[in-house]
Amino acid sequence: MESECPTETKKGKSKTPKKAKESILKQKSPAEFFAENKNIAGFDNPGKCLYTTVRELVENALDSAEAISELPVIEITIEEIVKSKFNSMIGLVDRERVDEELYDDYETAKAREKRLAKEARAQEIQAKNAALGKKVKEHAVSKSSKGRGEASFYRVTCRDNGRGMPHDDIPNMFGRVLSGTKYGLKQTRGKFGLGAKMALIWSKMSTGLPIEISSSMRGQNYLSFCRLDIDIHRNIPHIHLHEKRDNKDKWRGAEIQVVIEGNWTTYRSKILHYMRQMAVITPYAQFLFKFVSDAPDKNVTIKFARRTDVMPPVPVETKHHPSSVDILLIKRLIAETSKQNLMQFLQHEFVNIGKPLAERLIGEMGPEFSPKTAVKSLTDQQIVRIHQLFRQAKFDDPSGDCLSPAGEYNLRLGIIKELHPDMVATYSGSAQVFEGHPFIVEAGVSVGGKDVKQGLNIFRFANRIPLLFEQGGDVVTRTALKRISWNNYKINQTQDKIGVFVSIVSTKIPFKGTGKEYIGDDISEIASAVKSAIQQCCIQLKSKIVKKMQAREQQERKRNLSKYIPDATNAVYDVLKEMAKSHASKKKRYEEGDADILRKVSDHLITKETLYEKLTQHVEKVDYEMALEYATQTGVREEPREDIYLESLDDKGNFFDFHSPIFVFRLFL
Amino acid sequence: MADKKRRRADSDSDSASQPFKNLLKSDAQILKILKSVTSSSSSSTSKPLTLADLALSATCREVSDLSLSSVQSTIEALVLQLTHQILSGQGFSFTVPSRSSSNQLYVPELDRIVLKDKSTVRPFSHISSVRKTTITAKILSLVHQLCLKNIHVTKRDLFYTDVKLFQDQVQSDAVLDDVSCILGCTRSSLNVIAAEKGVVVGRLIFSDNGDMIDCTKMGMGGKAIPPNIDRVGDMQSDALFILLVEKDAAYIRLAEDRFYNRFPCIIVTAKGQPDVATRLFLKKMKMELKLPVLALVDSDPYGLKILSVYGCGSKNMSYDSANLTTPDIKWLGIRPSDLDKYKIPEQCRLPMTEQDIKTGKDLLEEDFVKKNPGWVEELNLMVKTKQKAEIQALSSFGFQYLSEVYLPLKLQQQDWL
Repeated sequence: MESECPTETKKGKSKTPKKAKESILKQKSPAEFFAENKNIAGFDNPGKCLYTTVRELVENALDSAEAISELPVIEITIEEIVKSKFNSMIGLVDRERVDEELYDDYETAKAREKRLAKEARAQEIQAKNAALGKKVKEHAVSKSSKGRGEASFYRVTCRDNGRGMPHDDIPNMFGRVLSGTKYGLKQTRGKFGLGAKMALIWSKMSTGLPIEISSSMRGQNYLSFCRLDIDIHRNIPHIHLHEKRDNKDKWRGAEIQVVIEGNWTTYRSKILHYMRQMAVITPYAQFLFKFVSDAPDKNVTIKFARRTDVMPPVPVETKHHPSSVDILLIKRLIAETSKQNLMQFLQHEFVNIGKPLAERLIGEMGPEFSPKTAVKSLTDQQIVRIHQLFRQAKFDDPSGDCLSPAGEYNLRLGIIKELHPDMVATYSGSAQVFEGHPFIVEAGVSVGGKDVKQGLNIFRFANRIPLLFEQGGDVVTRTALKRISWNNYKINQTQDKIGVFVSIVSTKIPFKGTGKEYIGDDISEIASAVKSAIQQCCIQLKSKIVKKMQAREQQERKRNLSKYIPDATNAVYDVLKEMAKSHASKKKRYEEGDADILRKVSDHLITKETLYEKLTQHVEKVDYEMALEYATQTGVREEPREDIYLESLDDKGNFFDFHSPIFVFRLFL
Repeated sequence: MADKKRRRADSDSDSASQPFKNLLKSDAQILKILKSVTSSSSSSTSKPLTLADLALSATCREVSDLSLSSVQSTIEALVLQLTHQILSGQGFSFTVPSRSSSNQLYVPELDRIVLKDKSTVRPFSHISSVRKTTITAKILSLVHQLCLKNIHVTKRDLFYTDVKLFQDQVQSDAVLDDVSCILGCTRSSLNVIAAEKGVVVGRLIFSDNGDMIDCTKMGMGGKAIPPNIDRVGDMQSDALFILLVEKDAAYIRLAEDRFYNRFPCIIVTAKGQPDVATRLFLKKMKMELKLPVLALVDSDPYGLKILSVYGCGSKNMSYDSANLTTPDIKWLGIRPSDLDKYKIPEQCRLPMTEQDIKTGKDLLEEDFVKKNPGWVEELNLMVKTKQKAEIQALSSFGFQYLSEVYLPLKLQQQDWL
């Protein structure tokens, strides 16, 4: 991934000097490149910037805690800063407007007249309604429209209980773009390894304020504090303050604070969705999300509680699969390898090449190759030959061992925790391969639940992070909408509240588009894996739904049968009445038994009510018999039990233990 | 006539755009061929076989026309039986002859589908049948009223008597057929009719409820086929054959061109799947006038299916196939082999969908197709080429190609199966 950045940097360079009369060769730093093209890292507009900042910080925090196998506890706070407060923060004096007409939002006399007239009319109507005793919603009249210059600023703070950072590395980890720890071939959350650095670049662009980092690692008796910003032109950190402080509480983890321009109003729901979906896919983490502003009614505090303490294993770094490498990568591997000859190189730098296969491959390469060929002496042509052979030869598929899927159990818990569905089914597929990269698809389908809209609700995850944008083209959306016949599984696609959760993990997720927000629908391996995973869930659900329908049928049988009694008795009685008439007028003769009935009908001894009663009695009898039969057939069957997770209390306070042979009852005082 | 001569002269000049026109003999010669065919076919018709003739009456079920009073008394007997059941506290149930496809039998000797003797019990006190049972009782009571008042109503009228219960006209229609089976009478004897659908035009004179109708003088649209066949009688005709057309569009073309004046014939269409009235009318014409019936349908599986409904009956109404089917219908066109024979351009042919191909293959398994080797061959060709064409595909040679070249040529060559 990192290889594409320098090349793009060069491209950016060639564009800029077009206007200049003499083209001067300029060098552009990676930081400059990303500052100019911030949209490729998800920093399109102030709203999206706020969203992406939150997201990058949360994902870093999760990675950090998972790296030391600690159950993550993450606190994220967004604090709104009004303009005057912002100005005082940066030491700028608030200035009154002197020349009103200079500003974009200046209201001309005519416009004001119009507005006042409109407000007066609105008040009049309201008064009228009030007089008539009608209840009217108080609608906010003063809608202060934001002018161009009125930016909103936010302080975003993220605190975790993760590994922390080594004191001396902190400046480089934040102040240098494209330097990172996540550059191996493994399943990672990060996008470009840009992480918090983009947030820092954005804060520098929009507010000019530095980033503040506090961190402490295990075994450190001090707390590292660092305030820094980035020298964009030289791509090096610019340190304001870097010191060791006391760590009285023995706290371990990291806290990162950055002040940026953003837009909470438009991206509020996106950010909350993101947090909710993150809670679904990481039920072993605890999130506390806060939004703080001057207006108390706008404040939000949500706690996403932990539901399990089972964490997926940390993904391990793996070697490349021969069918996934390109020439550039082979060259880099050759430069980095410690192996001397071609034979060892093939065996140790790639997966799925054993000794016998390596020998056969070298034999196939041609007479100028031998197992003893010094790997560093390979010519460019020879490398191309190796690459060609890698493309054409048949290799075993890479195993999925290096992947860390969320796990069926966690996915299931996450869904239950956040949606409270009536029914849920999950499925975890086995590892499959796309272009030499293994991937695993896991799926969950839920029906019913809290805060779920009717129809399909699709939740997408790639490498255990939620994907929120560009839903339409995504392979999951398209599969769920077009290729699953929900009717077959007794699920109503438009009426039922269906939740579809699909999590794909891979060493390389084949994202589409610049924002890396969706996975294309054109990869048949992934599309069919997604389809079969969803279908497996539906099959599980179907048997549950059918059972439920049967149970409901049992309950409603009497009601459904009784519903038809009036119609049936009316129909029969209408004919009887006509027959009784013609019988009385001696138009027709009937046999004795029948004549008896008809006589009773004309004498009102048999009426509609008689038939109704008899039929009702019969229905009750049948219902009782069938219920008995159903009960004996099905027996007392219960749903399989599920483990529940009770959060332990950290209170070390007073308690009594009541001991019994089978349990301990602990009473806290 | 002058008009006709001019048109003929014109069309000679564009014979290039209307292929095979030069093969056409004069009308008189074609008529002569047709006359010989008609005379031979009318002499060969014999009395139709019945189930009793084949000793099948015990294992197969058939209904007959019943008088209004006997329908009434059958209903009354049934209702009394129900009342006994209810009063004894057993609820009630109907025994309904099954009309499922497993209960159908194609009898090659009769060349039509008949209903076997399997029945299903429809109890009131079961969740899956309570609705149908109630609807059955309701329809019985409604038909009873019709008998008392001696009036006819349409299926739609019947549905609107209790929309809440029936929910959907399909349901009341299906139960109406069940009631016919239960009572053992034809649907017409229940005094319930369907809306007019079929039309007829051409050399036919008949009486409808006492009024004499001349189908050559019914304008372009022709005469609507009356819904109750018992009003129809006194059929007279000087036609040489009956032309059965699947589609309204082809019918309009033939009617406007007064095709029946050039070659004396009767043209009938039911605008798609035939209704009961059209089938009864065709049967009556065939029986009384003893004319050969030639069918002009689309070259697709549904065209053949429609043809088979006229000929062997539908599975839905197999209980009355004796009255509804017309034996010995010839498949004139458009047959799959015609596509190449008449050089119908590629752009006018349509590729068959997977559903079409499946229907075609299913048809090949049906006995009423298998009995006619010519049809099997044609159908095999259709499934193999995976191409279909509508009658309108002929319009690519000009709108009147159908009436002026295709049909006359077909008749001249006696090209029917």
